[in-house]
Amino acid sequence: MASKKTNGPAADDKRKMVLCQKIQTNTCASKNDSGALDPEPPTIPKRRQELLKWNGWGYKDSKFFVNKDGHVEFTGERYRISGSTMPGMREWMIKTIGVSLDHKAPAQPEVCAANIPLPVKNDGFLSDLRKTSISHSDDCQDRLFRAHGHTLHEIFLLREGKFERIPDIVVWPVCHDEVVKLVQLACKHNVVIIPFGGGTSVSNALECPVEEKRMIVSLDTSQMNRILWVDEKNMTMRAECGIIGQDLERKLAERGLCTGHEPDSMEFSSLGGWVATRASGMKKNIYGNIEDLLVHVKMVTPRGVMEKNCQVPRMSSGLDIHHFVLGSEGTLGVVSEVTMKVRPLPQCKKYGSIVFPNFECGVNCMREVAKQRCAPASIRLMDNEQFQFGHALKVESNSILANFMDGLKKLYITKLKGFDPMKMAVATLLFEGTKEEVAALEKRVYEIAAQFRGIPGGADNGERGYMLTFVIAYIRDIGFDYYVVAESFETSVPWDRCLDLCQNVKERLYRECKDNGIQYPPYVTCRVTQTYDAGACIYFYFAFNYRGISNPVGVYEHIEACAREEILANGGSISHHHGIGKIRKRWLRKTVGDIGLGAMQAVKQYIDPNNIFGNNNLMIGHNLSDGATPVQEPSNVMLPSKL
Amino acid sequence: MAEQSRNAWISKDDPKLVSARQKDMFEDILEDRRHSSDLRYSLKTRDVTTFKLNKPRVPLQIKEHVMKSDRVNFAIDQTCLDTKLPREEIVAEAMSILDEMAHNLRTGAVRGFAFFLIKVMKSLYRRIYVNVDGIQKIRGLIKEYPILLMPSHRSYMDFLLMSYVFYNYDLPLPVIAAAMDFMGMKFFGWLLRNSGAFYIRRSFGEDHLYWAIFTEYVQCQICNGDNPIEFYVEGTRSRTAKSYTPKFGMLSAALEPYFKSHIPDIIVVPVSISYDRILEESLYAYELLGVPKPKESTSGLLKARKILEENFGNIHIVFGQPISIRKYSEGLVDRSLHNLAPRYIASLTNQEQDLIKKLGHHMVLTQQKHMVVSPWSLMASVLMQSQGGVSLRQLGKEVEWVKRQASNLGAYCDWPASESAESVLRANLKLHENIVRVSQEDVVELVRVAPPAHAKATDAMMITAGQHLMLSLYRNHILHVFVRPAMIAISVNTCNEERLSIDDLYTKYTFLENLLCKDFVFIPGNTKADFELALLTLTHTCGVVMENNEVVIAKSTNKHTTFYSHMFEPFLLGYWILCQYLLSNHPNVAGKPLAKTQKNLVKEAQMLTARLLQEGVVKHYEMLSLDMMNNGLHALYSMGGVSKERRDGVVYMYPNMRQLSTITDYLAKFVDVPPLPSVSINLHSKTITVNAKL
Repeated sequence: MASKKTNGPAADDKRKMVLCQKIQTNTCASKNDSGALDPEPPTIPKRRQELLKWNGWGYKDSKFFVNKDGHVEFTGERYRISGSTMPGMREWMIKTIGVSLDHKAPAQPEVCAANIPLPVKNDGFLSDLRKTSISHSDDCQDRLFRAHGHTLHEIFLLREGKFERIPDIVVWPVCHDEVVKLVQLACKHNVVIIPFGGGTSVSNALECPVEEKRMIVSLDTSQMNRILWVDEKNMTMRAECGIIGQDLERKLAERGLCTGHEPDSMEFSSLGGWVATRASGMKKNIYGNIEDLLVHVKMVTPRGVMEKNCQVPRMSSGLDIHHFVLGSEGTLGVVSEVTMKVRPLPQCKKYGSIVFPNFECGVNCMREVAKQRCAPASIRLMDNEQFQFGHALKVESNSILANFMDGLKKLYITKLKGFDPMKMAVATLLFEGTKEEVAALEKRVYEIAAQFRGIPGGADNGERGYMLTFVIAYIRDIGFDYYVVAESFETSVPWDRCLDLCQNVKERLYRECKDNGIQYPPYVTCRVTQTYDAGACIYFYFAFNYRGISNPVGVYEHIEACAREEILANGGSISHHHGIGKIRKRWLRKTVGDIGLGAMQAVKQYIDPNNIFGNNNLMIGHNLSDGATPVQEPSNVMLPSKL
Repeated sequence: MAEQSRNAWISKDDPKLVSARQKDMFEDILEDRRHSSDLRYSLKTRDVTTFKLNKPRVPLQIKEHVMKSDRVNFAIDQTCLDTKLPREEIVAEAMSILDEMAHNLRTGAVRGFAFFLIKVMKSLYRRIYVNVDGIQKIRGLIKEYPILLMPSHRSYMDFLLMSYVFYNYDLPLPVIAAAMDFMGMKFFGWLLRNSGAFYIRRSFGEDHLYWAIFTEYVQCQICNGDNPIEFYVEGTRSRTAKSYTPKFGMLSAALEPYFKSHIPDIIVVPVSISYDRILEESLYAYELLGVPKPKESTSGLLKARKILEENFGNIHIVFGQPISIRKYSEGLVDRSLHNLAPRYIASLTNQEQDLIKKLGHHMVLTQQKHMVVSPWSLMASVLMQSQGGVSLRQLGKEVEWVKRQASNLGAYCDWPASESAESVLRANLKLHENIVRVSQEDVVELVRVAPPAHAKATDAMMITAGQHLMLSLYRNHILHVFVRPAMIAISVNTCNEERLSIDDLYTKYTFLENLLCKDFVFIPGNTKADFELALLTLTHTCGVVMENNEVVIAKSTNKHTTFYSHMFEPFLLGYWILCQYLLSNHPNVAGKPLAKTQKNLVKEAQMLTARLLQEGVVKHYEMLSLDMMNNGLHALYSMGGVSKERRDGVVYMYPNMRQLSTITDYLAKFVDVPPLPSVSINLHSKTITVNAKL
């Protein structure tokens, strides 16, 4: 089980290193050298719970609450809405999902030690681990923090219950070699490794398999957060897997660069996690999704280190091993280092929005923009429900002029243009590039919009739309406080089925809520968040007030599964970027077919025969010959042309 | 009397008083119209609920949508390639097809139509009963889902009635898939079109363009939920008052939008319309005998005005339990199989085709289940078995017995509780005085029916047959209630052994079902369950005795089994004659039986029957029905007794001698077959006796 030595310093020397001359990618010594890019302490501490909420989203200092005036307010100083109240929010919560401010459901203060399972101990592994200098901890709270991602189920357990199985130890390697060492030890002693990056998974991917009897090691990559080098000749950079999105962009920005990869979780999610889950960024129209950005990746597997021997823009070399890594979700190994493309920081960044009389016009406009391939960095279309929600999130404004302008705008759109506020849809836009590029693109996009009865709605609306995506995760926590469970899910779909899918999935959600005895109207909304040549990515938010329901999470999961069935029946995919994890495993066979699943299993079997990376995601545990009916051949027959 | 009432709560102190307006779950919708202005009624404001995803549009916009659709353009391109004609020509053809097809539903016309309808209804019928809870269910669903209405089809009145009921209850008027026949009518065709009828050709073979236009036209209206869509799953009016086996073309086209996920769900509603007396009774009778039906024309309609002076009794309309296609297909259909091709290319998976078949049969059986059985149907079933005439007293007794059996088998009998049996009988005899009369000795007998004007000087036998067929229509109305138990009864009654094992019984049952499957509707693949239920019914209510999984024949032959056997005797005997005729088609010259068109075969079998009737060998005149012969021929085809081949695009059929003679021999075990004037023919050294030359 020897790890293959990768290209050493000698190879690197030949390259022109712009910024750091003495970086050696494979020696941990460099970690403490002053010449590295990273003199500051890590943004994410080892004891994450000191900075981040242990049972909710994001920073401890930032949350929504209902203030003494009964208005919703956001705490802290971190965000633009911090310290502001949102006067429309309370009304919206009461009206839309039937929240009552008198009925609170506070979370349990802690998961007490008694409710935390005893760690399984592999003495051989532990004693070998102690012989290394690798940092580790078996502290209850450290282990608990790494037992979950952010699905509704997991957060609800943290607030109300307990976990049956959590990692038995947390380790913090600081460099590639330590990862290699850890994997070797794990193989030697037959313990399970579950890689842990930002912990923002929403697919139950981090959940420990309950039936796992071996010791489970959570491999936290947060201390592997250095940018190793930046190569401006080739416009690439190499970083360790644990660096989180905001740090990466901040540090590159100091050099006038960016990767442009901005998933909604970029404040917390890590580079390695993006690669392992096939992430997608908001601005993919300019910069591409993670698979487009990836130039080189190193993955430590039980068989050794898997990587390509060169960093080229493209090559024909048989099956692309990068695509074994992308979306492997921690089942094959740990991504340790990644080379990614970088771009110069855009000169100009501009928000915008377009108001459409209805969702259909909006989708048609998006389709046309995609057809003409003139999409700005980001273009998203919110349906009416989400538009109204965005409106409710408007912060209190003290400027009379601003209020006056808002009134005027509203008057113009509803009265002069005859738009029905209960049907309107809004597209939010983000332009990036040189001033001229932005101006030209803006003109073109608004011209197309006009053909679909869209009128420009101002930069504010656009910016607020993007804010919503960052804020929504915090909003779920206040929802929990008032008996509301909420979650998002996404899919990708060909253009011709886009509208039908949105309509049918919403319809299905409403119907299932009714059938499952939910007393209050659910909140169902969707947006088209990405455009492609052949289709779009659709993002749903779904929330309901669970007062009167004894098992809200079970009901929620059942309904989400129904919605996924509906999505698949409507020509949608199992996932656009959230991944499979465990939550969507049951549809994987149908998605890729028996042969596809078998091929995945064969790769797994070769790379990890002892299931060291046993997080049970994707195809693991699927038995090919087991019961499940083989996917029927699509035996479509022409209709009889006779009555 | 009122002042002396024992109880102030009671306003009419007469326990026998039964409201005719409200009856069981029914409500009479004519009553109010008799006391108020028809004009005001036809001008009333209609507050109509519409489908929530509906985008309002006028008929012209529907046409525009169809012409612009991917499906039609795809078909046009294909046709261009096939025919090598310029695109404009094909587009023009498409336009003309669409113009021929499309309805033009308009409120103005609807109101005029309503005014006209109410006049007609009031003069023709005494009461039109509708089950109100069914209407309420539809009202609730119309907002949520597109609706398909599938009424039974036994009269032209069906679609007038449906529109009238929907108008009456302030529901959106259905658009109706109508056959081309009506379009030719000058004024009436126009009126129907403007009241929501759209016209489709009966068969359009391989005409893909027509199929594409038709499909898109229907589907876009379903997806947008413009109006409920009404069509007849039986395909055409049943001339026999029995349900026809379902047709699947329209149903497939209508359900495809759900399978391809254009819409969240579709609701189908079975509707049963039962007539006390069918408007077209004599037309049907003669049509069954082979007298062609007159071409629909407005002048014909005006001539039929004299029927307005006649009384056609009551109508019962039952809206059955609406079925959600989503729920119905749950676990049976994987819609994602359509993900790999554009949705405008027409296709259905095998799963879906099976489901449609099942649903079609289910619909017809539900329609049957909700049919209301009138006293006259019960009387007809008795009269058919006592053709020599029967005394009123005896008829009363027998009808009472049949009514009991029908109720036990789940039929809803419409029998007024407040009247004496004799007055019910007499009232019904009066209603059908064109068929029967009561002689001075109180004997009920058939009267001579004058053939309709268009049937020129028909011979005496045809007239007698017409009379019998008219009567048989009403008996046919309840045959579906008895057919399954009867197939067991027949097997039991004709068994020569002392005991009959359940397996043998099932074999016999299966044979009979195969034979009768075109004349009656059975769900394919449901034979075993049907059989078990029927056997259970017979043992529990009709005295059939089972011991050790065997039927004890002597104890089991009783009035029930005999009556049921007799009920279906004409069908079996009719088929047997058909078999004999086919067998006589001797391989004379070519060494292989002469192939003939289906029409000829049926016609010649009818001639043979006529001859046997004339000679007094057989006595059931209804066996002259071409419909029965046609059904028999199709059943024989599906059993392998007859083969088909295409010549110049026309289907020719010929018997498979060996297989057919096996079937014939087996069939003869179930029915008393008469000796035939014999001529021997030789078939592979096996001698078969058949009737001589025709």
